[in-house]
Amino acid sequence: MTKYLLRRLLATIPVVVVTSIILFVVMRVLPGDPIIMIAGEAQSDISPDLLERLRQENDLDKPIYVQYVTWARKILSGDLGRSIRSRQPVINVLVPRLLPTIQIGLMAWLTALIIAIPVGVMSATSPNSWKDWLGTVGALVGAAMPYFLLGGVLIYVVALRLRWLPASGYVSPLVDPLQSLKVSLMPAVTLGLGLAAVTTRQARSGLVEVLQQPYVTTARAKGLRERRVILGHAFKNGMLPVVTILGIQLGNLLGGAVITETIFAVPGTGRLLVEAIFSRDYAIVQAVVLLISFAVVFANLAVDLVYGYLDPRIRLS
Amino acid sequence: MAETMSAPALAEASVATARPAHRGLAYGLRRFTRRRLAVVGIVLVGLELLLAVAAPALAPYAPNAQDFRAVLQPPGWPHVLGTDDLGRDILSRLLHGARLSLAVGVAAVTLAVAVGVPLGLTVGYSGGRLDELLMRVVDSLMALPPLVLALVITAVLGSGLQNAMFAIAVVAIPTYTRLMRGQILSVKQNDYVLAVFACGASIPRILFRHMLPNSIAPIVVQASLGIGFAIITESSLSFIGLGAQPPTATWGSMVQVGFQYLEIAPWFVLAPAAMIFLAVLGFNLLGDGLRDALDPSLRG
Repeated sequence: MTKYLLRRLLATIPVVVVTSIILFVVMRVLPGDPIIMIAGEAQSDISPDLLERLRQENDLDKPIYVQYVTWARKILSGDLGRSIRSRQPVINVLVPRLLPTIQIGLMAWLTALIIAIPVGVMSATSPNSWKDWLGTVGALVGAAMPYFLLGGVLIYVVALRLRWLPASGYVSPLVDPLQSLKVSLMPAVTLGLGLAAVTTRQARSGLVEVLQQPYVTTARAKGLRERRVILGHAFKNGMLPVVTILGIQLGNLLGGAVITETIFAVPGTGRLLVEAIFSRDYAIVQAVVLLISFAVVFANLAVDLVYGYLDPRIRLS
Repeated sequence: MAETMSAPALAEASVATARPAHRGLAYGLRRFTRRRLAVVGIVLVGLELLLAVAAPALAPYAPNAQDFRAVLQPPGWPHVLGTDDLGRDILSRLLHGARLSLAVGVAAVTLAVAVGVPLGLTVGYSGGRLDELLMRVVDSLMALPPLVLALVITAVLGSGLQNAMFAIAVVAIPTYTRLMRGQILSVKQNDYVLAVFACGASIPRILFRHMLPNSIAPIVVQASLGIGFAIITESSLSFIGLGAQPPTATWGSMVQVGFQYLEIAPWFVLAPAAMIFLAVLGFNLLGDGLRDALDPSLRG
C-alpha cells in the first residue's frame, strides 16, 4: 500500500506544477495593468513613483518566468501574496471564505448521497419497472437543471412564498448552528441535486453489474432473502463507483459553488473568485483557482487511494 | 480488362466490404428510435432549433423594443410570457435568445472538436514525448473545474458573448483530445490499420481516411452532451455578468436581470431558465441515445 501511495503521490506532482504554470501564464496575459486600474480609480492622486513601487512590490516589472519562480517559491512557503486591492495578505482574505464553501459543499454531498443511494438501489433492483424509469428520468432532469432554475424556484417558493427558510446570506455554525443549517440548506440542495443525478446513475449501473455476478447468484441459490442478498452481499461492491464519482465531482461542486454562492449571497470562495475577477485582483484569483485545482487533484488522489484500499486488485496492477 | 486497384485502395475496399456503412447506420437508427427518451431528446432539440431559426417570424415584437407602459407585466395577452423590467416582450427575447444561446453552444463545440480531435489523433498515433507533454497539459486543464476555467479565461479576454464562446471551447478541448487519443490508441492495434500501412498509404490518409471514421462515435456522443454543457456554461457566465452584455438577449443574461425581480415577477427568471433546462435536457437525451445507438459498450 505504501508503494502504491507513493506512486500515486508522485504522479500528482507534474499535474500540480503544470496547472500552476498554466494558471500563472493565463493570469499574466490579462489585458490591462492592474496597477494602472487601481490608479485609475484613485484618479490622479497616485504618483508615478508610487505606481512604480506598487509594480515592483507585485513583481510586475520582472520577466514572466522570474515572476512565476518567485510566486511558486512564496506559495511553497505558505505566502499567497497580498491582495492588490485591499493590500491585505491573501491568506487573511481567503481563510474566512473557506468555511461557507466547505460547509455547503459537505451538505450538498450529503444531500446527493441521501437521494442517490436509495434511488440508485431502487432502480437497480427493479430494472425496467416504473420505479427504475422514475429514477432514470429524475436523474436526467437533475443533470440538466441549471443551478439558477432550481435556486430561483427554491427562493421563490420556500423563502418568499412559504417563508420557511431565509432567501440568502450565511451564518457560521460556530455562531448559531441551527440558523446556519437553515440558511445553508437551500444552497446545499441546489448544489447537491446535480451531484445526486450523476451519483444515482453510477449507483444504479454499479449495482446492476454486481447483481449479475456469479457470487450473487450463489447467495440467491443458498436461499438467502433478496434483501439480505442486496444489502449484505451486493451493496458494498456495487457502491464502489459511487466513491469515484463523489471524488471526481468535487471539481463540479466547487465550480457550481460560484453560481450558488452568487444566487444565495453566500460569502464563500466561489463568490470571492467572482469579486476578484471583476476587480482584477490577480493575487486572489490565482490563490482561489490554485486552491480549487489542488483540492480537485487531491480529491482524485484520495479516490484512487480509497479505491486501492477497497479493491486490492487496483493497487496490485 | 478489369480495372486494377492500388494496394491501399484494395485494403480500403476490403475494409468497406467488411462493414457496409448503410447497414450499420440503419442498425444504429433502429437502436436510437427504440429508446423513447432519445426520441424525446431529438424532438426537444428539433423544436428548439426550429424556434431559433424561425425566431424573426415567430416573435411578436422586436427583442429590444421597450414599452414603459407595460413594465413587468405577468403572462397574458398581448405578452404571452409577460414583460421584463424595460417592458420588453419576454417571448420575443426568448426566441431571439434561442438563436444566440444555441449558436454559442454549437460554435463552441465545433471549435473544440476542430482543435481537440486532430490533436488527439496526431498525438495518439505518434506517441512519444509530444504525447507525454500534451497529456500532462490536458490532465492539468482537466484538474480545473470547467466553469472556473471558463470564468478565468473570459475574465482574461473580457466580457462578451464571443469571448464566452471561445472560453467554453478552450475548456472543452482537453476532453476531445483525450477521448480521441484513447480511441486512436485502441484502433491503431487493429489489423486493418496495419494492412493499410503495409500497403503504403500515407500517414494523413491512414489517420483521416481510416482511423478517424472508426473512432468518431464517442466524439459524436460527447459533442451532443457537450452542446448541453456549453449552453449551461454560457448561461452561467452571462448570469455572473461575463457573457452577453445588455441589451443582447441570451437566456443566461435574461436570468441575470430577472433574478433582481424574482419576488415580484418570477416569470422573468423562470421562462429563460426553463428554456435552458429543456435545451440541456434535449442534448443530454440525444447524447445518451446516440451513445446507445453508436456504441452500446460505452454506456455508463
